[in-house]
Amino acid sequence: MKKKVLAFLCAAVMAIGMTGCGGSQTTGGSGSSKSASGSAKSSSSDLNVMLETPVESLDPQQATDGTSFEVIADYTDGLYQMDADGKAVPALAEKTEVSDDGKTYTFTLKDAKWSNGDAVTANDFVFGWQRAVDPDVASEYSYMLSDIGQIKNAADIIAGKKDKKELGITAVDDKTIKVELNVPVSYFESLMYFPTFYPVNEKFYESVGDKFGTSPDTVLSNGAFVLDDYQPAATSFHLKKNDDYYDSSRVKLAGLNYQVIQDSQQALMNYQTGALDTTLVNGEQVDQVKDDPEFKAIGAGYLWYISPNMDKVKELANKNIRLAMTMALDREAITTDVLKDGSKPTYTAVPMDFATGPDGSDFSADQEKFKDVCRTDASAAADYWKKGLEELGESKLELSMVVDADDAPQKVAAVVQQQLQKALPGLTITLKVEPKKQRVQDMQDGNFQLGLTRWGPDYADPMTYLGMWVTDNSNNYGLWSNSDYDKIIAECTTGKLATDTQGRWDRLYDAEKIVMDDAVIFPLYTQCNAEMVSSKVTGIEYHPVALNRVYKDAVKSE
Amino acid sequence: MKKYLLKRVLTSIFTLLVILLVLFILMQLMPGSPFNDEKLTADQKAALYAKYGLDQPVIIQFFRYVANMLRGDFGVSYNISKNTPISQLIATRLPISIYIGFMAVLVGAVIGLLLGLLAAFKHDTIWDTIATIISVIGVSVPSYVFALALSYQFGFKLRWFPILFSQQQMFQSSVLPSISLSMFTMASIARFTRSEMLEVLGSDYMLLAESKGLSGKTLIFRHALRNALIPIITVLAPLIVDLMTGSLVVEKIFAIPGVGSLLVTAIQSNDYNVVIALSFIYSAMYIGIMLVVDILYGIIDPRIRLAKEGS
Repeated sequence: MKKKVLAFLCAAVMAIGMTGCGGSQTTGGSGSSKSASGSAKSSSSDLNVMLETPVESLDPQQATDGTSFEVIADYTDGLYQMDADGKAVPALAEKTEVSDDGKTYTFTLKDAKWSNGDAVTANDFVFGWQRAVDPDVASEYSYMLSDIGQIKNAADIIAGKKDKKELGITAVDDKTIKVELNVPVSYFESLMYFPTFYPVNEKFYESVGDKFGTSPDTVLSNGAFVLDDYQPAATSFHLKKNDDYYDSSRVKLAGLNYQVIQDSQQALMNYQTGALDTTLVNGEQVDQVKDDPEFKAIGAGYLWYISPNMDKVKELANKNIRLAMTMALDREAITTDVLKDGSKPTYTAVPMDFATGPDGSDFSADQEKFKDVCRTDASAAADYWKKGLEELGESKLELSMVVDADDAPQKVAAVVQQQLQKALPGLTITLKVEPKKQRVQDMQDGNFQLGLTRWGPDYADPMTYLGMWVTDNSNNYGLWSNSDYDKIIAECTTGKLATDTQGRWDRLYDAEKIVMDDAVIFPLYTQCNAEMVSSKVTGIEYHPVALNRVYKDAVKSE
Repeated sequence: MKKYLLKRVLTSIFTLLVILLVLFILMQLMPGSPFNDEKLTADQKAALYAKYGLDQPVIIQFFRYVANMLRGDFGVSYNISKNTPISQLIATRLPISIYIGFMAVLVGAVIGLLLGLLAAFKHDTIWDTIATIISVIGVSVPSYVFALALSYQFGFKLRWFPILFSQQQMFQSSVLPSISLSMFTMASIARFTRSEMLEVLGSDYMLLAESKGLSGKTLIFRHALRNALIPIITVLAPLIVDLMTGSLVVEKIFAIPGVGSLLVTAIQSNDYNVVIALSFIYSAMYIGIMLVVDILYGIIDPRIRLAKEGS
């Protein structure tokens, strides 16, 4: 009897062992294409891409996150697209005419088709844009049409004061779109690649109703790829090349195979087995791969900064205290010793590498332009600190800093705490670690002293950052207010400089200088993502704004 | 029996309603809201609250939710997968978690039982020691350690199994996660089987049965194992629910699109409807399995059945 039990045990173990061998035959050999793919439709010339988070929404007017934007743009073209350098170049727009006053744009459409065979018409844009401002849709990015795009009546429609039909976009005929703006917007063309401005086929939308964007059958493609395998919040999904794309000769990939992997070790192992062509690596893994030629640091656009609450905390209302703190920060140490992912130390209120001026130069290329007020200088910091404390009549200060409960922010905050306490005698910083949603709420409610936060650019213009510090802006967490600053920003958005590109550009420097001189924020670093990109793959275009990755020109060799 | 069942089902429904109410109140206590985002202004947040009826008093939200739920509508997701009906989200994910959980339970229960029997019959031998060591490791090492170790060894080094879950290779890609998840069950079951069997084997009625000259097979399966099974099922039942409702870490490691990872993401991003629906389903599964277990007791041990019918 005892033998039988033992025999059964052995049989069970063997059975499990057998299934193991069975598995090895199908997966071991092929490695790259099938094992990590989520789709039977995938082929070996698909690009296998790792994502950190699943898609939140495939509705172009509802999506807000970078992952969703990237995937929507894989299969949808707007009027404009980004070129390799991030410049706006025509996509569906055949011809663009701008009126002399800069307030009327007339776009003529190319011949393009939706994947159900319908032609892409002017009405698709009208319908999509009207959805973006429709209060019933409650699009989070509606401000791209109102505050930023300055499209006629957009603000009133969002506020429920006017009907969406009154939005300043009209279909003159099937191929011609007329857009009316309140004021000239110098970067208007560069908004056109932002997914909130993408067209939606009205007839198709009405036919699928609430299910829009939840499966391959409920989305339409007019872009380089077609979605052929997808479920809401899927951990893997697939797009194939769109043969009916008007520019299909340009697209070299057979398809895109997305895989969501939240565990960084698993992601790297998958990359090393060849199951992924590109993957993110975290700070701890960088040491392991940094000498690999396939390792790349790719700009992610986010500026991380510390926001002092100048309204509620009287110590932080003192300019010398603020200057002392920003001078005491060793940003180089944060990026090289803590983050290690290629993130760049930043000494300007507008981060580098996303906004290019009329002369083609980067707005923040010169990181030393505010070195009088923002550099790493412990002795200057100590001087400001002493002066500040004297003005306050204090000998020591206790401040708290709210921080997201995520890995990188917590590490950064710990170093910031240490740096500040070391350089500024009498200062004690306590960290308040909170879930991100709570941290954002606390900062929006003004319920914080110092806050470690970030901001990603929405469009390729310094205004996406500078617009935040005007009086009463909801992202002006510290409630700073300066009438000169407000005046400059108004001049550059709706005022006399709106059409004067060079004049506006120069004036924006003046605005940034006020922010820096007053230490309204303590910029820390511009985030980079450490990525591995297979040497077999070329031509993936990375952008810090709007569309983080574009695959239209990507090539994967065998 | 029927009357008993009816009573149990009615109590279960009432319990579930209470759970739902408690969940609603807990949601209100969660820090932040689904719409705390850097890019959202106060006006936009108010519009979103109004759109989803979150500006109403909790009690009205509760009754509206219950009314919708009775019609099979669990609401939509606020931010994990915007405006996707929860029923659709769960319908695609729950079967995957149940499948992997079921494999894990099967592997864990069968191997655990065998290990336990081996240890009991070979009491105080090297086999017993080996089985005990395996059990201790299984209970004390968390499943994600097994998950990482197994995927490194069998996925990355030997390449026997895929590192990540894929629906096209459902079975192969479920092997590593199932084994990782089964370790705890296996170890617990092995330990319980061993101690229960030892107790039963030493009891008077076993001595009687043995002295009657019953064969080994009848002795073990008819008399010993059957009596030892009751406590084992009691231990196994909650483990089954636990495994079938998905594991956060193991699902995350193997990129399994199951409900465990969904729940945690939902809690972190305050996606109320997803949290409520999943917690509710967990509770329902738990209560359901417990009911099944009570019925199983009766089948395995007639004494329990009689006692219940008498009451």
